[in-house]
Amino acid sequence: MDPELIKDCVHCGFCLPACPTYVLWGEEMDSPRGRIHLMGQHVEGTPITDAMAGHFDACLGCMACVTACPSGVRYDRLIEQTRAVVEREHVRRPDDRAIRALVFALFPYRRRLRAMRLPMRLTRRLRAFLDQVHPSLGAMAELAPAVPRSVRLPPLVRARRRRRARVGLLTGCVQGEFFPQVNAATARVLALEGCDVVIPPRQGCCGALSLHAGREAEARKFARRTIAAFERAGVDTVVVNAAGCGSSMKDYADVLAGEPGWAARAEALRTRDLTEFLTELGPVAERRPLPVTVAYHDACHLAHAQGVRAQPRELLRAIPELELREIGESAICCGSAGTYNLVQPEAARELGDRKAERVLAAGADVLVSANPGCTMQIAAAVRRAGKGEIRVAHTAEVLDASLRGLEPGILGRSPIRRRMP
Amino acid sequence: MSERDVGDALEATGVAVRAAGDEDEVAGVRPRWVALPESAEEIAAVMRVCAAHDLAAVATGGGTKLHWGAPPRRCDVLVDLCCLNRVVEHAAGDLVVRAQAGVTVEALARALAEGGQELALDVPVPGTTVGGLLATGIAGPRRFRHGTVRDLLIGVTVVLADGTIAKSGGKVVKNVAGYDLGKLFTGSYGTLGIIADATFRLHPLPAARAWVTATVERPVTETYGTWTNEDGLTFETLTTDLDGSLATMVPAVTESPLEPSAMEVDWPDVSGRCTVAVLVEGAAAAERAKALCGLMGETAEVAEEPPPWWGRLPEHGGTGNTGGGEILLEVRNMPCRLADGFLGLFEAVREAGVRAAMRGSLASHVFHVALPPDTDPALVAGFTSQLRAGVGEEARVVVLAVPPEAGRRLDRWGHVGALRLMHRVKERFDPDRRLSPGRFPGGI
Amino acid sequence: MSELERLTARLAAVLPPGAVITDPVRLRTYECDGLTHHRATPGVVVLPDGAEQVAAVVRLCGEHGVPFVARGSGTGLSGGALPRTDGVLIVTSRMRRIVEIDIPNRRAVVEPGVTNLAITEAVRDQGYYYAPDPSSQQVCSIGGNVAENSGGAHCLKYGFTVNHVLAAEIVTPDGDIVELSAMDAGYDLLGAFIGSEGTLGIATKITVRLSRAPEAVTTLLAAFTSIEAGGHAVSAIIAAGVVPAAIEMMDALAIEAAEAAVHCSYPAGAGAVLVVELDGPHAEVEHQFAAVERICRDSGAFEIRVAASAAERAAIWKGRKSAFAAVGRISPAYIVQDGVVPRTALPRVLAGIDRLQEEFGIRVANVFHAGDGNLHPLVLFDDSVPGEAERAEIVSGRILDLCIEHGGSITGEHGVGVDKARYMPRMFTGDDLDTMQLVRCAFDPRGLANPGKVFPTPRLCGEVPGVRKGAHPLVEAGLAEQF
Repeated sequence: MDPELIKDCVHCGFCLPACPTYVLWGEEMDSPRGRIHLMGQHVEGTPITDAMAGHFDACLGCMACVTACPSGVRYDRLIEQTRAVVEREHVRRPDDRAIRALVFALFPYRRRLRAMRLPMRLTRRLRAFLDQVHPSLGAMAELAPAVPRSVRLPPLVRARRRRRARVGLLTGCVQGEFFPQVNAATARVLALEGCDVVIPPRQGCCGALSLHAGREAEARKFARRTIAAFERAGVDTVVVNAAGCGSSMKDYADVLAGEPGWAARAEALRTRDLTEFLTELGPVAERRPLPVTVAYHDACHLAHAQGVRAQPRELLRAIPELELREIGESAICCGSAGTYNLVQPEAARELGDRKAERVLAAGADVLVSANPGCTMQIAAAVRRAGKGEIRVAHTAEVLDASLRGLEPGILGRSPIRRRMP
Repeated sequence: MSERDVGDALEATGVAVRAAGDEDEVAGVRPRWVALPESAEEIAAVMRVCAAHDLAAVATGGGTKLHWGAPPRRCDVLVDLCCLNRVVEHAAGDLVVRAQAGVTVEALARALAEGGQELALDVPVPGTTVGGLLATGIAGPRRFRHGTVRDLLIGVTVVLADGTIAKSGGKVVKNVAGYDLGKLFTGSYGTLGIIADATFRLHPLPAARAWVTATVERPVTETYGTWTNEDGLTFETLTTDLDGSLATMVPAVTESPLEPSAMEVDWPDVSGRCTVAVLVEGAAAAERAKALCGLMGETAEVAEEPPPWWGRLPEHGGTGNTGGGEILLEVRNMPCRLADGFLGLFEAVREAGVRAAMRGSLASHVFHVALPPDTDPALVAGFTSQLRAGVGEEARVVVLAVPPEAGRRLDRWGHVGALRLMHRVKERFDPDRRLSPGRFPGGI
Repeated sequence: MSELERLTARLAAVLPPGAVITDPVRLRTYECDGLTHHRATPGVVVLPDGAEQVAAVVRLCGEHGVPFVARGSGTGLSGGALPRTDGVLIVTSRMRRIVEIDIPNRRAVVEPGVTNLAITEAVRDQGYYYAPDPSSQQVCSIGGNVAENSGGAHCLKYGFTVNHVLAAEIVTPDGDIVELSAMDAGYDLLGAFIGSEGTLGIATKITVRLSRAPEAVTTLLAAFTSIEAGGHAVSAIIAAGVVPAAIEMMDALAIEAAEAAVHCSYPAGAGAVLVVELDGPHAEVEHQFAAVERICRDSGAFEIRVAASAAERAAIWKGRKSAFAAVGRISPAYIVQDGVVPRTALPRVLAGIDRLQEEFGIRVANVFHAGDGNLHPLVLFDDSVPGEAERAEIVSGRILDLCIEHGGSITGEHGVGVDKARYMPRMFTGDDLDTMQLVRCAFDPRGLANPGKVFPTPRLCGEVPGVRKGAHPLVEAGLAEQF
């Protein structure tokens, strides 16, 4: 916890209404300003108490406060440092430790995730029982989407017209396992816009989950491996379609600052969100009409951590006959926040319900978002509200449908349809 | 202590003092002396004598509303502020003016007009002084746009019952240092202290003004009908309704983006027609007035001058506003309770068997109702309670002026939510109850 | 066992679970509001969920003789919500329901924890808004606005909180729930309550006036080479009989900070920028705009930008509204001052501030509501340099002296709080302050509501009427005077 970064906070409170936990509970210590104050207390010598750790753990890391802050406080850096300190210094309750261990043994590993798909689906029936054992287990069961057939992407997808760029594509663990069709759509859109897309087969996790949870060493390991994978692929730009992965890859230089040689290699690798990249590149492929109403959800790690708000909206608006609707309280997190909904299930559920209410109020046909976590979280909340299955799609899928002239009816239908209530 | 000694003590202050006459009566109570101080210090000197000799004092300016409020329980000294008649400072560049309490609003307006500015109030009683304006808090048509005097007052100097001279606020428009005593004294009917001078924020005189007037022949319509009950008995019924054009015209105008400054009604006799007038101010006033015409029906027309009744209280039988027999009520309600205001008045007039004239703000829903001075006191009381019942619980009906005989039979102030706190404020400012005692709600 | 401990033990009985905070680490996060150089850890924090709960807590405070302080979002800049170590901090952040929106009657009823901007957001679609707009409007609470009588950039034309509140339900220091309404006859206690900085009670429900959104809004940004030229333009605009919705000015240093924080892209090389907003009917705004543009050019504006859309208007305002916090980017520490001068005295006061900067070697960034002479000098310093904080404090005080000398005020909108109580005797006489405190004594004779704020010397109210008891220990110790 860098005292200099803490000092940047002038205590103006502009972050309060942007903070999901403050919105929920209205308590100073569950606001960014309050958490920075707690960090200050620790720096001044107060040991990390259960109460203090609880308030840090309750932070979703959505970074809405970073957007709201006029003083430029690096809360993102501060909370990462703080999480690392909490991991090092604080002894958690045994059940909490067990859940965290389970989550981090599972999610960053695609093969383990794949192995878990069937048991997770089965456990949905056991939801009530699991909830009693531990709310986190219940949350896990509730979130798991029905999984489509896995899609295997070739190591290289060639440009479908005159080549304008050559880029790498990060497939991600959760995206790759639970939403493979999104990666396929992303690759197609890029190819149709004139890009050679390189997809290194053994890229693994980018380290986002570990980084956002204060598991520094693990995060650095994943970062090094990801950089090496794309260097081998011979690309200098990596296109990412998962908000959380994009934001952590953009932080690689900071994450690896202490490692000789690696910082420079991290700097050399350009990371771009898909929408950011497409907007910079400019459209050449024909957009075909897509008569559908979509509500765009700002994933925190895209809107707040990467500042990417205008680009996806611009791309969606450029699709003929598509109507774009805004969701109320768009800056407030849906409660997914990486592994948050697994380790803080109660708060995540409250936020999810709040978000679902506003999403439903927007009255769109399809909910569009750029983060698999958000999609699962909001879909689960809508289900909880008794509103059945909401159609969800990634921005890439919407673009793909327009470029290929597909019917809007396919968006968010077949791949995620559930077999069980 | 004899009357003589007290008179000597007053003389000794150096303030001009004379014996009171019939014309100095305060709501029927005759004071013994009239003091004519020329400064806040002189007011303080008079108040110290009052304190030493337990004399009750009532302040007066133009005397135009001295008969408003309940009669004082006692009144020994009438403090006439006519000599505090200087406009102390008009800082045109800062849009503020400081004036002594005895300056009339007309004199003030003349002084300000020289600098192209105005106090954006339409004080409805001619001859009102700055002090009287504040003590009664009376306001006119443009309350809709600029609020009442409390909203334009930025500083005040007062003299308390013990002769303490205190000020609050200042001469800057924006100022939150300390409590705002000006607000507390506004509308306090002289029961907390005597206002010596006041500072107001000003507005530039509008480049142009235009009025749009329209008439409504029958603001309230009556329909006879029949009603049969469960037992088959048939009754004759009479239902009253607000004229539809009026009901739609008012929100159409007040909520219009054309931003009228005021919307007033004059209804001289509740069985007859009423006139509606809307004021528009600004460089493009004529253009906006023309556009407003379209919202006000077929009779609407634009005028460059206000109608003769504009910005005046309703009157009866040419008694003017200063006459002894004035009977004047104020009705305040929520803006959208227009029908309650009109129907409540219409029915109260019919039930009580009186004549009434009504004028006031359609935009802010503050109306004044005048009854003829010779109205039977019992009928006045009956009318007041009928009116209260008719305009609804959220509304407030205050009897501003009424002859003593009728005044004894009615509740002047209606519901006052925080009366206990008001008593406590009075106890602190004037523990011995020497300032206008009994003139205010709850016998304050 | 102290009275506070005895009281704390009883709080759980009147509040819902989780509404009483006693953990020392948690308590400390409430040690200050937006003004961080006054700090005090509250004895206990409560988070009530309704007027009855507030009243119950206040009654307990009365029974135990324990002081209480109300706090909304904690954004105040005068330490008005500075807690008492021996008292209860009553935080209204959970009382944030919009109780009623009544468009036909142009009013909304809200709980005190509702943010200022939330009201506007709730009625914007229907063409209305809540007029007062303090720079912190996205976070500051209406309860806090009522306590401080908050203004904002647009109060030049539209007035302050006190001009837009129609009624308030308050909990008096006795623990009674009382309705103060502008409709009622009698004393304007509502007017006296608004701006009393929590010393007369706690507002638990507030009825605000909603204003019709203007037909046209034009925002213009004019860049001048010097602050003098900008000031000249302001005078000329007022003299021309134009009342803009807002006239804001920032000097070069403030521009630099805003640029660093929010990249507002104000014209390069500007010694001052003026933001003028005109609103009203189309026809009027056109007239006024022509006049204002001409005046700015005549006064030497080298660049004039006009916001053509809501987004461009937001971009112009963004620089201004974030200016305070943005100064954090160019200085390790700073003091925000809030003086007022008659507008015509602005040039003289600004020259005086320049002299102070030179004399003390302290930089001052100026941001102000030029239309009403409300200055927000930001006194910059580095707290790691020995003596600099003290010099900044002196400069800050001297600026207030300048304001008073020129017939102004020590605070235009931030309130007196704990920070400026000591300056009150420079602006008011003892008699003035005693008279104000009569109101305090009427509402709170025991002085339990936010003691130590607004007034420099605590006064004991004595019994009413007239019967005095023996000398109070505080009087004997010379710490207080008695009426």
